[in-house]
Amino acid sequence: MAAMEYFEVECPEQLGGEYYRQITNDVLLDHNLLKVIEKLHVYIDPKVPVFVAVGTLRKITTTVRVRDFANVNPLEGKITLVISDETYLAPMLKLFWERFGKDHVEQPDRFTIMLYDVRTDPKEIEDLVVADPSESLFRDLIYAFRCIAPEGFRLRKETFAKDKFSFVASENTLAEDIDALVAAKFALTGEKP
Amino acid sequence: MTLVPVTYKGGIYQHDIIVDLIEDLGGYIVQKHIIAAEVVLQCFVPKDDIELIRTLAKPLFGEVTDSPLVGTEIAIVSMSLEIHHLPHPSCDIAEYVRRIGAKSNMVGLARGPGKRIAGLNDEERDVINEHDIAVYLMGNFETCIEYKMPTLRRGIEVPIILCGGPGEAALRRITDPPFDGYVGNVGRFMRRTKETEQLDKMDEIIAVITRVVEKKRDDIAKDPLSVSPARLMDLIREKVPDILDVTSPTPLTVQMRGLRVKLPYDRYAAPLRTIEIEDGIKIGDVAEVVPSRMRDYILVKILPFSETNMVI
Repeated sequence: MAAMEYFEVECPEQLGGEYYRQITNDVLLDHNLLKVIEKLHVYIDPKVPVFVAVGTLRKITTTVRVRDFANVNPLEGKITLVISDETYLAPMLKLFWERFGKDHVEQPDRFTIMLYDVRTDPKEIEDLVVADPSESLFRDLIYAFRCIAPEGFRLRKETFAKDKFSFVASENTLAEDIDALVAAKFALTGEKP
Repeated sequence: MTLVPVTYKGGIYQHDIIVDLIEDLGGYIVQKHIIAAEVVLQCFVPKDDIELIRTLAKPLFGEVTDSPLVGTEIAIVSMSLEIHHLPHPSCDIAEYVRRIGAKSNMVGLARGPGKRIAGLNDEERDVINEHDIAVYLMGNFETCIEYKMPTLRRGIEVPIILCGGPGEAALRRITDPPFDGYVGNVGRFMRRTKETEQLDKMDEIIAVITRVVEKKRDDIAKDPLSVSPARLMDLIREKVPDILDVTSPTPLTVQMRGLRVKLPYDRYAAPLRTIEIEDGIKIGDVAEVVPSRMRDYILVKILPFSETNMVI
């Protein structure tokens, strides 16, 4: 998995900062988001209190196709798919059911799917688009940052654009000049908001 | 006769021999778990007879280990029951405490998180006070812990063990008056505790809990209880057969100074008070039977010798 280009956690309390670095890393890893984020700067000040996360996103245009995680073997009127990664198994099955009908799709075990009496070219099946991870990307990112930010910080202001994002949270009303703080943190990563 | 808390682990085959033996020796079985072909008994046994149990358990491949937390009910106070604190670290710690015999309950505060907004309501306070000790699991920031701790400890009468992200020295510095126990460097984290370093931290928490429990036991010994909670448990199990139909894992939860009876207060409190223990002495004479803040359970608080002038 590609590591982040820039990853800093800034906090007046040194030990607290270290813990939050660990938490950020764990959460992003759990949600499979490390490869999406290019740069990330997290700033936490428990005295104010405020939590700021700014960063840039990598472009992920790749859609997940059947061939990415399955081998398609046509044999005597049936097509056998051997699956190497189960992540997208459910959406793939759903797609097959819609397209070929449940009668023609069988799953003898976790890693095998058989298609009976299907006239489609195996090459075409390989190219079927199963999922588009970028569809739920922003939802996943927001959820991940809500997990990372201290729980009591419930007043949030978040901006997620195509290639940049900022996430601000606090338990008090956010200061009017909060955008200046966000811009300052963006500057540390070498970007402009 | 001094009763000591121990755990017996062994196969299910002929385990009733051990059960009978413990009962014949005058011990009490607090909890019995049957997991597949294994039996785990958490019990109080006479100190002098532990060797005898060991000898008889040998042919059955059973082992007897000390577990100082048997017969205690511990509140693991988590700042909330959100993804931020669950399942790590709150569940990890609650589970670890359970393994060595304590009955741990997780108390999730309604408004625990945050700094200024943190609070403790009367129900939470009363529920925590019904336990033997409370373990507070705090976050990572010194500033926040210092700010909210006075609110969160208000009205809590049981010993508190404070766990938090800052080091132990820092925790001591920011809390006044001091707590009964401190464990530093264990704040909020989002990963499973499975590495040696993290498990060592768990053991440290257990060590602190054990120390606080031992201290509380010593305090109780200075003014002993009129009747042992484990004995009352046995008696209630015998005299109130309805308790056997309760599906909760521990229908009778033994505490250090009493026990929790998981039956509705309205119907069972009066009959419970009139149960005779010995020589015409009833439960109502040596204990207070009060409604618990936890559901509609009954809490039996055993009175000390200084109040009843008898020990049975």
